[in-house]
Amino acid sequence: MLGDSVKAQEVFHTTLREAALRAAHGELPNEPFWLFRDARWRCLEATKTDLQAEPFEMEEQEITAAAGSQIERLEPRQLAIWISAAPEPQRTALALFYLDEFDYREIADLAELKPSELSRLLALGRRQFQAWLDATLPKRPTT
Amino acid sequence: MKTPGLSRRQRALANCAPINEERIRDRSMRAAVFRARSSSEFENQQSFDRALATLVRAIPIPPETAEWFSDKDLIAPSKWTWKKAGRNPVVLAIGIALVVIAGVFVFQFVGRLNDFPGSGTARKLLSIAGSTRSVVLDPVNADAGALSDLFFLKHGLEHYDAPAEFADFRTIGCRVFEDDESQRIAQIWVVEKRMQFFLFPAERNVKTGAVLNFQGWRYVHQEGWIGAVTERSGVCFMVALRGREKDLAPYLAKAKQ
Repeated sequence: MLGDSVKAQEVFHTTLREAALRAAHGELPNEPFWLFRDARWRCLEATKTDLQAEPFEMEEQEITAAAGSQIERLEPRQLAIWISAAPEPQRTALALFYLDEFDYREIADLAELKPSELSRLLALGRRQFQAWLDATLPKRPTT
Repeated sequence: MKTPGLSRRQRALANCAPINEERIRDRSMRAAVFRARSSSEFENQQSFDRALATLVRAIPIPPETAEWFSDKDLIAPSKWTWKKAGRNPVVLAIGIALVVIAGVFVFQFVGRLNDFPGSGTARKLLSIAGSTRSVVLDPVNADAGALSDLFFLKHGLEHYDAPAEFADFRTIGCRVFEDDESQRIAQIWVVEKRMQFFLFPAERNVKTGAVLNFQGWRYVHQEGWIGAVTERSGVCFMVALRGREKDLAPYLAKAKQ
């Protein structure tokens, strides 16, 4: 969400500290994903003052069978930076989806999206990421 | 995704297909994944997602953060509750259906509780009582008890006697007719509260032909009419009037005395 491990750790600790305080006062919400919702808002707050990229049309490419091998050549940090640079709410959708901990309805709920919007943003994200992969890591010639 | 054969909704669902198929929790998603599985686009999407998820898992977590999670699950599985189950439309529909079925059974059971041999005929006769006009009866100005001889001599009906407690009621008219089961019914109209008396054969055991006896007076209700039936010598006598049980009760109390 942040593309910066220091900031991420700060948000993580603030979220947990706040949760511990609420638990001590017996004020924990009943809603199951409140902690993640809270963490998301803190991430959005933390990046509000950051330099924002100029909005521009990203290129798109259909996903290819070679995408898997291209991704294998990536550093985890590169992926984290790419996702954190995506506009909201696509950034939340991609981050939560690839965490592989939530189902699509939970992600839509957390990102405050309709399922159809989530679907569109994920499909768009994949195509944009494929275009970026093709530009950054050209496909290896097949033998 | 441009997979042919998928509806728009299924295409949207397939775009959100979980990386791990064990995470599929609803039928519509399972159906969409099942249908999309045959397409190469979906295969590419799945391997793309798996590769990215593997990369995400490789993102190093600082040790001081990792210790918060240790061996515990990140998300506790949601607990099963009656409230949650009650909101499920399938459970709700089954529940409503069961309640309706139970209601019908209870209604029929309660209805049967008041049944007695001849109650079916008695109800049919109450319907007849409601639709009978005095002009269809032969005018007879006599005591109800005196009509036994008329029924016996003119129609050959034995034991078609009004009980002693109703024998003194003055009559307006009477008739004998056959019902849809060819049973011979005697109908008497009396002055008192425009009551009607019915005399009809008591129900018999189908195998043995023996009369199915019952003791005392039994009530039947039909279309705003109330009837009280008693059986003597294989013939049922029913006194009927438009109203409720309390309208008939005083006459039956007198009968008991």
